[in-house]
Amino acid sequence: MKWATRVGCHVDRAACAWLIRRFVDPAAVFVFVGDPDEVPADATAFDMPGAELSHHGGDCSFETVLARFELDDPVLWDIAKIVHEADLEDERFDAPEARGLDVLCRGLSMILEDETMLSAARPLFDGLYEYRRRALLAGRDPS
Amino acid sequence: MAGSIEWLLLAYRLPREPSTPRIAVWRKLGSLGVLKIGDGLVALPAGARSQEQLEWIADEIADAGGEATLWRSRLTSVRAERALVDRMAGSIAAEYRRVIAAAADARRSGRAMKSVVARLRRDLRRISQRDYFPPPEREQARLAVESLAAELPSPMPEQARP
Repeated sequence: MKWATRVGCHVDRAACAWLIRRFVDPAAVFVFVGDPDEVPADATAFDMPGAELSHHGGDCSFETVLARFELDDPVLWDIAKIVHEADLEDERFDAPEARGLDVLCRGLSMILEDETMLSAARPLFDGLYEYRRRALLAGRDPS
Repeated sequence: MAGSIEWLLLAYRLPREPSTPRIAVWRKLGSLGVLKIGDGLVALPAGARSQEQLEWIADEIADAGGEATLWRSRLTSVRAERALVDRMAGSIAAEYRRVIAAAADARRSGRAMKSVVARLRRDLRRISQRDYFPPPEREQARLAVESLAAELPSPMPEQARP
């Protein structure tokens, strides 16, 4: 399936793309557009003004995608708190990892084109998933 | 001569009732540090992050039954531009001064506690995110908080904490 988002992938877009590829559509193809009007007719838009899979009612796009596809994996909702704070900084959640994740994603998007940036961010989110999974299982941060 | 700074202008109108979305929008604009130009008209220096944040807010305004348009513009007068920059720098400087005062208070009362330092650092970080034209107070505030941090009792091993 084809998915479209805006150019310049920061934390919320990178996290959504990772989520879509790993948990929603393993064959996902991403296109990057400058304006909502450039979204191809056969693509599903995300993290763009006007798109369904976007910011809604104080949620970031990652949270919207989780809710829309009924992904109830608690590890993903745990990561959602980090992505939410990294993207919105509204103090809804206590997520000290957020700032670091935001800086890492911003840095990657400074040196890489969008498609390469998403590939580079994949192990970052895979690692975050594994870390938070172990933390949830053990009830404390893994050593 | 025209101004040298490119600005993003958000022109918006929101229904007076219900007031919840109005307040939510107002809070978000506040945390971005926008400059209020008039009723329903705010400005930020142009930038990828500013633009994205304002686009989300414009979207939210439309969702709440209002209208919003986002513009890019330049002032025709350098003098007017200077005045806007001074206004932004002035209000952010006042925020830094509050941090400096809080650090001085904590120092005087000998309450250089970890939690106070952490809170002031967090305040500084939040202020600097909406600081587009850093005034001298920025560095002064950073120094005030760091010198307070230097007075913290030397760290104890994790286990020894009460």
